[in-house]
Amino acid sequence: MEPNSASYVLGSCPTRPEPEETVLESLQFRDEIQRLMTVPPENASSFTALLELPATQAMQLLHSSPHSAGGGGDEHKAYSSSSSFTNGNLTFPSNKALIERAAKFSVYAAAADAEISPETSPVPSNSSANLDKVKTEPAETDSNPGSSNKTQTQKLAKRKEREKKGKESAKKSKNQSCEDAEKLPYVHVRARRGQATDSHSLAERARREKINARMKLLQELVPGCSKISGTALVLDEIINHVQSLQRQVELLSMRLAAVNPRIDCNFDSVFATEGGPLIDSNIPSMVSPLLWPENPFTGNRQNFQQPWNFDALQQPLWGREEENHTFITPENSLLSYDSSANSASLHSNQLKMEL
Amino acid sequence: MNSKRFSPPSCTIKSRFTRRFLRAFLKINRQRTRTPSSPMEICQRYLKVKLAADVSMASAVGSRRAWSRAMLAKIRHGVRAGSASSLTMRKRKIYHGKKSTKEVGIVGNAKMLRKLVPGGEAMNTCSLLDETFHYIKCLSTQVKVMTRIADQICST
Repeated sequence: MEPNSASYVLGSCPTRPEPEETVLESLQFRDEIQRLMTVPPENASSFTALLELPATQAMQLLHSSPHSAGGGGDEHKAYSSSSSFTNGNLTFPSNKALIERAAKFSVYAAAADAEISPETSPVPSNSSANLDKVKTEPAETDSNPGSSNKTQTQKLAKRKEREKKGKESAKKSKNQSCEDAEKLPYVHVRARRGQATDSHSLAERARREKINARMKLLQELVPGCSKISGTALVLDEIINHVQSLQRQVELLSMRLAAVNPRIDCNFDSVFATEGGPLIDSNIPSMVSPLLWPENPFTGNRQNFQQPWNFDALQQPLWGREEENHTFITPENSLLSYDSSANSASLHSNQLKMEL
Repeated sequence: MNSKRFSPPSCTIKSRFTRRFLRAFLKINRQRTRTPSSPMEICQRYLKVKLAADVSMASAVGSRRAWSRAMLAKIRHGVRAGSASSLTMRKRKIYHGKKSTKEVGIVGNAKMLRKLVPGGEAMNTCSLLDETFHYIKCLSTQVKVMTRIADQICST
């Protein structure tokens, strides 16, 4: 996304379907760039100075600074070296449209005016660092209060909109409806009838539709929700459902804690609906490892620890079959096979004891 | 439910959860004394069982989901304290549950949801709904499995 925006500035062919416009714009910018280059740098090259600029130039700066390392055109280098710009709109190009834009960001200009005059130390590296930082920030609408960022986010929001929604045709209608000063090739989105064309509202619309899609899924999941219309009530239902599920879990665990279990309960049917007769053979593998780690005998361990590890790692089924064999036979021979009397008595005790 | 590579049933979340939970549950039961349990014992065992259910659910899901990660982190950092306080917190939630509805909209109601879903505080609304979806699915499997186990034990 970003390289596209970087490339367009300097006249290279962007991937937008309006090549004529961009050629014109690039020519325009070249003129302005040269004009700006001739002006000697006067004041500090702080970031606030940048804010004075119309967004276009600021954008160029933003994108040119990473390119300066790569050594782009001459304009790049000139930019990076003379990154300190004059304050005020005096030396700005005579392009009225750009001046309009600059006037729009007069808030920043006013603030910058007060700041720039005392500053005298040009620190190109500092400013470029700022630029880089600003550039790499994600295009969130709540990022830095920079006019350049505004346009950046606008652009990215529009790009997002364009990439996600294929329904809107890429026309220039949006561009023309916006400020005329913006000659940049934005993502052109045709607004739907009766809907706002702001970048903000577009982004919000995209968000809302995402959220609505997910709400639909949730509605299908939660029983009784599909009849309800209105997201607030649906959300209420979802919240209630989650609460009831959590309460059910608590009740069940209370029940399981309080019940008196028996020895001979086997959990075959718990696995029954999961399908597969192979599952039944899991039961001895499941129950028996429980006993073994507790027992101090050493002989069995080598047999059983290994399958235990398999079990823990959940190998695919073909692996499990092997371990089941090893489990079943030792389990049967468990009582007869004991390395010590202790273990035998322990085993019999455990088997007799409540589960 | 997901991650069925060779489509063996043992790879579903349900089976993973069942296995782990049964392991833990049998282990807890082995620690029972022969004497009839006092209410205090039952309460403690209940907390253990609940914790085991949560842990086995979260670990069955793994770290793929934000809510399971958050749940595991919460458990690791405060086992006893967490379980005791979550009980009281949940009761308060139930009482105040109806008040906070009809707020601003989706974003307003999501506040309630954030408290319910583990790790929900640090998510945006979009991913919160994703996590809720998955969380509800896992909770319902948890409930199903635990009811089956409870019925098994009680009936036999």
